Amino acid sequence: MGPTGAGVTTLQRNPTSVAEAELADATLAASGDGRAFERLYRAHSARIHSLARRMVDADHADDLTQEIFVRAWEKLGTFRGEAAFGTWLHRLAVNVILGRRHTIGTDRQRFATDERAIDAAPNRVTVPDASDWGIDFEDAIGRLPERARQVFLLHDVSGYRHEEIAGLLGIVPGTSKSQLHHARLALRRYLDG
Amino acid sequence: MSDHWTDRLSEYLDGDLLTGERTALEAHLLGCPACRATLAELRRVVARAQALDDTPPAADLWPAIARRIGGGAVPARPDDVGDLAAHRARRRISFTVPQLAAAGIALMLVSGSVVWKVLGRGANPVAVGPSAIAPPPDGAPAAWSGDAPYDQVIARLEQLLAQNRGALDTATVRVLEKNLQIIDRAIAEARAALAADPASAYLNHHLARTMRRKVDLLRQASAIAGAGTT
Repeated sequence: MGPTGAGVTTLQRNPTSVAEAELADATLAASGDGRAFERLYRAHSARIHSLARRMVDADHADDLTQEIFVRAWEKLGTFRGEAAFGTWLHRLAVNVILGRRHTIGTDRQRFATDERAIDAAPNRVTVPDASDWGIDFEDAIGRLPERARQVFLLHDVSGYRHEEIAGLLGIVPGTSKSQLHHARLALRRYLDG
Repeated sequence: MSDHWTDRLSEYLDGDLLTGERTALEAHLLGCPACRATLAELRRVVARAQALDDTPPAADLWPAIARRIGGGAVPARPDDVGDLAAHRARRRISFTVPQLAAAGIALMLVSGSVVWKVLGRGANPVAVGPSAIAPPPDGAPAAWSGDAPYDQVIARLEQLLAQNRGALDTATVRVLEKNLQIIDRAIAEARAALAADPASAYLNHHLARTMRRKVDLLRQASAIAGAGTT
């Protein structure tokens, strides 16, 4: 779950140096340095935008990404450097996305109920519908029921532990494990190649 | 794949089973081809998830973000639009010995004129407090908001530069050191003037700008040194 890219170009090759450089940029940005913050945006926008797109959908990803970076700018004073900047930003992004899901949840609910949603229940017949053909792995993730999708993305893509996910989503770790397993079972059919 | 072990396969894959459970499941796997096949598929799902590519937004979102955080205070440059990798590549090296020299000379001139202005004309009474940390207009440095943030950054950059200093040629090192001395002298002068007149907005901005120049100089020198180590 380490950060991608680099704030200071020198240090792109060495993860430790990348973290140091981004800490430097974060410190400058907290002092009002917009250029330093722009470097952080350039380094992390792809990861944050992809997270937003997968957690919610492509229609809201731009708006959420902007919201996340604005929130990050406002909260830079709370970044103490105990974790890498990318880790701090990702956590903030998850919180923003989860906070916003209530307002855009009506759009998302259709994925959990309509016929296009992948049924994450383990006992479903595993032969895909004809409409399922041609769905790639990313599309399939987007069609998981909301909770299964969130757990899968946080655990398998972003590297969070079940205890952390449980705290973020307000569920117990056992539910997180169960949702993850169901999501993985459903996604088997959409592996490429 | 309907036996009771099937639902534990993800936990097994993630190392979340207790020792006894793991041993029992491994014994089961030996005699259950269906569970072995499911486990292999789950491994592939996890591997596929970890290999997902992150893609940047189709349009550059920075101009809108800059407007929101500073009312347009941090304008996007024309080359900001488009391919992120190309943008990074353009940033990579942009530092030459003449630039180093020019930075030093400019600082020397600015420093001298600032001290003259302040001493000759008296202080600007506008106070600059902690709130003056918003992004500055048109790329100008923020007003001074205390030494600590810059001191931390400078210390880190100096450390990074020291680690890669051997990659710089001696002429570059000589110019770099000379300019750092000039900048340090300018910083010392600005601090001394500010100590005498802490409410001066002009001096606050000047000190912020001078510290920022040192950070930029160190950052770019580090970039050259870092590039030379590969």
